[in-house]
Amino acid sequence: MAFDVDKYTATSVSVNWDDLDLEKFRTEPLNETSLRTLRYMTDVEYHTVCYTRDLLTTPSHKEADMSAFMTMWNREEFWHGEALATVLGIHGVTVDFDELKANRLKLGWKDRLDPIKQSVLGKIVGNDFVAVHMAWGAANEWSAIQAYNRMAELEQDPVLAELLKRIAKQEARHVAFYTSQARDRLAKSKKAQVIARLALGKFWAPVGSSIMERSEVVHVMNHLMSGPEGRKAARKIDAAISGLPGLEGLKIVEDSLDKLGIAA
Amino acid sequence: MTSSGDIRSGVRFNVREFTRTARGNHRDELHLDEFASAPLSDESLHAVRYLGRLESATMEHLRNLLVTATHKDARVTAFLVTWAFEKFWIADALDAVLEANGQPRAQAIEEGRTRTAHADARDRRGPIRRAVSAIRQGVPIIAVHMTTGLIDEWITRTAYERLSAVSKSPALAATIQLILDVKERHARFFDDEARRRLSESPRAVKLTRTELLHAVWPIGAVDRADSDRSFFERFVFGGSEGADRAALIGTRVAALPGMDARIGSTVAQRLLP
Ligand SMILES: [Fe+2]
Ligand SMILES: [Fe+2]
Repeated sequence: MAFDVDKYTATSVSVNWDDLDLEKFRTEPLNETSLRTLRYMTDVEYHTVCYTRDLLTTPSHKEADMSAFMTMWNREEFWHGEALATVLGIHGVTVDFDELKANRLKLGWKDRLDPIKQSVLGKIVGNDFVAVHMAWGAANEWSAIQAYNRMAELEQDPVLAELLKRIAKQEARHVAFYTSQARDRLAKSKKAQVIARLALGKFWAPVGSSIMERSEVVHVMNHLMSGPEGRKAARKIDAAISGLPGLEGLKIVEDSLDKLGIAA
Repeated sequence: MTSSGDIRSGVRFNVREFTRTARGNHRDELHLDEFASAPLSDESLHAVRYLGRLESATMEHLRNLLVTATHKDARVTAFLVTWAFEKFWIADALDAVLEANGQPRAQAIEEGRTRTAHADARDRRGPIRRAVSAIRQGVPIIAVHMTTGLIDEWITRTAYERLSAVSKSPALAATIQLILDVKERHARFFDDEARRRLSESPRAVKLTRTELLHAVWPIGAVDRADSDRSFFERFVFGGSEGADRAALIGTRVAALPGMDARIGSTVAQRLLP
């Protein structure tokens, strides 16, 4: 089904938590494990705009619909960061713009070369590469939904669950955009399918891997994606990805969990 | 917001407050039915369409900024995310004006050919070359982006004010006033950031001077049609009054920290038809 960008932009809002009693965390705080995971999620959400750079180094930015979506998407993700930062703030964990900056400055050569690499790839395969970006984006958005769902399940806290549900609902619209783009573009091009399969199979890693320390990635994956329930969530993401044209049989999430040594 | 920044210039622009009070859809405030009895002239419609295209080119511009060290400054990117959102809705308001005048949306019709002038070569460089030079330029490049952002605000404000005067349309004037109100905060942010960064870093001054000697205006013009650019130069900066408007912008540029009359007059010169 085609994604209606006009409808999306007209209804895009920043996630709201005014009516939620987040203050109750002062007397019933979340545990350290969850706070560490939330901190990771916050950083990932605030960093979203940096990924825009990679997407935009391809011809995709010339398309008005793509531009419109990216504008709203960036803002929604920023507000996911703000919402989670508010929860952390109540726990005495300050995540401020200036602190994020310090984190970003740590990114070394790999980060600097990334846009160049992406641009070169973008040039070589032209519009086909947009298909790869879209499939990649879909995988990340599916991961976000599963991560928030798992977090809500594990915490069993009604206030946190409601906030995460609201965020996940917006992630679902992101999924809808990325999958409809990926599906159309992959279906049109055998070459795009081959490259997408290669790129996701070889290079995909859990969202946040490129910006966070490995120890943090392992912590979050252990927290959310280990054990039978965690694996079940991982398989759901894999099933969705492998449903895209040409990506049958890919299991990038399970593979990456194995690589990180996360127990099934 | 932590306040590790410079406070010499008074209160630092509050990015969080800005993000919380962003202004979106303006369609209910546009007096669109007034255009039925008093439609805009072709010239005014042309200006509306071109301004709409400039306002909606945020993602192209963001791409150019984000391949440099600017993406590492979370305060700046937080601003830019909301800035892009507000500009999206400014472009939408301009589209609404076009539609109320029986015209297609600004992005719905093919743009003409871009200009191939040698003078534009620097601005036309793609993301790869920008990313490569950004490795050398490092953090001071942020000052360049903040300063060009500020000058761009001065230029587009001048264009909107000109359009408001020329159109003789109270409905369009009201829409433009609304747009200028939204843009006022963008200018304030760029102003704060540009002055602070230029005052603090000789390297930022050097990079900015080089950029301003070659920059093409408004930002993103190199991707726009040659015919639209020529129209804009004539419409806003044509004739002796237009030249005065350009000179005024040049004077303001010259007064920025580390800039001088030579830089100011180069910018002014490059605005002229
Ligand atoms: Fe998100
Ligand atoms: Fe998302």
